[in-house]
Amino acid sequence: MKYESQGIAKMYFIAAIGLFVGQILFGVTMGLQYVMGDFLFPEIPFNVARMVHTNLLIVWLLFGFMGSAYYLIPEEAERELFSPILAKVMFWIFLVAGALTILGYLLVPYARLAELTMNDLLPTMGREFLEQPTITKIGIVIVALAFIFNIGMTVLTGRKTVINLVLLTGLVGLAVFFLFSFYNPDNIVLDKYFWWFVVHLWVEGVWELIMASLLAYVLIKVTGVDREVIEKWLYIIIAMALISGLVGTGHHFFWIGTPGYWQWLGSIFSALEPIPFFMMTLFAFNVVNKRRRDHPNKAAVLWALGTAVMAFLGAGVWGFLHTLAPVNFYTHGTQITAAHGHMAFYGAYVMVVLTMISYSMPLMRGQKAANETAQKLEIRSFWTMTLSMVAITLLLTGAGIMQVYLQRYSADPLPFMVVQDELATFYWLREVAGITFLIGLFMYIYSFFVKGKEVEDVE
Amino acid sequence: MTTEELQLRRAASSSLFSLLNLTALPIIGFLMLLLIYKKTESDTLDRYYAMLGIKTNLVAAAALLLVTTLMILLGGFESVWTWVYVISYFVFVHAMFILFATWTMVRSWTGKKLTKSFLSK
Repeated sequence: MKYESQGIAKMYFIAAIGLFVGQILFGVTMGLQYVMGDFLFPEIPFNVARMVHTNLLIVWLLFGFMGSAYYLIPEEAERELFSPILAKVMFWIFLVAGALTILGYLLVPYARLAELTMNDLLPTMGREFLEQPTITKIGIVIVALAFIFNIGMTVLTGRKTVINLVLLTGLVGLAVFFLFSFYNPDNIVLDKYFWWFVVHLWVEGVWELIMASLLAYVLIKVTGVDREVIEKWLYIIIAMALISGLVGTGHHFFWIGTPGYWQWLGSIFSALEPIPFFMMTLFAFNVVNKRRRDHPNKAAVLWALGTAVMAFLGAGVWGFLHTLAPVNFYTHGTQITAAHGHMAFYGAYVMVVLTMISYSMPLMRGQKAANETAQKLEIRSFWTMTLSMVAITLLLTGAGIMQVYLQRYSADPLPFMVVQDELATFYWLREVAGITFLIGLFMYIYSFFVKGKEVEDVE
Repeated sequence: MTTEELQLRRAASSSLFSLLNLTALPIIGFLMLLLIYKKTESDTLDRYYAMLGIKTNLVAAAALLLVTTLMILLGGFESVWTWVYVISYFVFVHAMFILFATWTMVRSWTGKKLTKSFLSK
C-alpha cells in the first residue's frame, strides 16, 4: 500500500461484506416465501423482505464502490486522499442512515414510515428500489456530494489517468442520475419514465464506467501489462457502453404507455448492449494472456476474469435474451427478468467489488497476497458462489419460460397465482442454490481469517 | 511479409471466423474457415487454428442444432417442458462456445496454442 489514506477502504469493504450477508439472508428468506407463502408472516412479509433484499444490494455495492475508489484514487493520483477525515465521517453517516432505514422497513409499517419521515413534504417513497424515505435520500445525496468532493479534489490536485478520470466520471454520473429519484410526477407513465433514469442509467450506464475502471486497475496491477494498452481498451469499452446504454433505456419503455418508437429505439440500441460486455471479456482475456508477471494473488486474477465472463453472460447474453420488443411482449416482468437481474448484478457489480477487495485487502493487511490456504478457500468460495448463481439463473430462466408459456402464450392462459404454483419445483431448486450461495459467501468471509503458508513473491 | 507473420495472420483470421460463425455470420464464417484451411500446410500454427475453428464449430453445430432438434422431436412441439429445456440449454451452451472461441482468438493473436490449464502460459 503506497499511501496511508488508502487504508480507509478497509472499513468500507468490511461494511459492504456485512451488508452483503444481510442481502443474501433476506434473499434466501424470500426464496422460501415463494414456496411457503406464510413463512415469517406477519413479522417479515414478502414485500418487506424484497425491499430489504434489493435496498441492501444497492447500499452494499455503493459501500463497495466508495471503498474501491478510496483505495484506487490515491494510488492513481499519486497523492494522499484530499480529506481522510471526511471519508471516515461520511462512512459512519452512511452506515447509520442505511441501518436506520433498513430497521425502519423491518419494524414500522411502510405507510407509517412515510408519515414519520415526513414524506408528504416532498413525496419520493413507494417506488421499487427507491423506497428509501426522502430524508434518507437527502442523506445519500449529502454523502455522495462529500464523497465526490473528496475524490474529485484528490484527482484534480494529483496525477490524472484514464482510469481515475473514467472512475470519477462514473461516480459523478451515479450522483447526478440519483437526483431523478426526487422527481415524482403524478402521471404514472412519466413517473416510470424518469424512474428508469435512475435505475437503468445507473446499472446499464454509469456503473459500467465504474466497473470498467476498477477492472482495468486490477488488471494493470496483477498482469503488469502496459497502462497504454489497457487505457485504449477502456476508451472503446466506455464509448460502447454509453452509445448502447443511454438510448438502450428504451427497452424499459415498452408497454408502459410511452410512444411506440421506443420499441424500435429500445430494441436496436439494447441489442448493442452486449458489445461492451463482450469487449470487457475480450479485454480481460487479452491482458491475462499477455501478462508479464504471475501475481501471487491468484484469487484476485480469478475474480477479475470471472467478473468479465459473468458480466458478459448475465448482462450481455441474458439481457439480449429478452430485450427485443417482440420477445419482450411476452417476457416483460416475468422470472426471465429476475434471471437476468440476478446474474447481471452478480457478474458485473458484485464480482467487481469482490475483485477489488480480493486484490486490496491483503495489501491493506500488510501482505502481498493472502496466504496459500486462504487463497485456496477464497477460490473455492468463488466457484461455489459463481456456480450457485449460474444455477439460480438457469432455474429462474426455466421458471420464466414456463411462466410465459402458461400465463401469456398458451391458447388457454392461466392466472398469475395458478402459474406460480406450477413453478414450485423451480423455486425449491432455486432455494437450494441460494443456500449454497450463502455457504460460498461464508467461505469467502472465513478465508480472511485462515492462517497458512505465506505466498512467495514472484513479481 | 514473412511466412511466420502470414501464419500468425491466418491463425488470427481463423479464430475470428470461428467466433463469427458462432455469432454474426453463421455458415459464411464456416466457409471462410474452410477456405483458410485449404491455404495452410500441416504442422503449422495457421493449420492448428483453422482446424480448431472447424472442430469447434462442428461440435457446436452438433451440440446446438442436433441436440435441440432432438429435444423438440422427443419432447413435442406443444410441451412447455420442451421449450424450458431447449431455450435454457441453447442460450447457455451457445454462450459457452462463444466464450471458448473468444479465448482461442486471444491465444491466436499471440501465436500461442491452447494449453490444458487456463492460466498457464
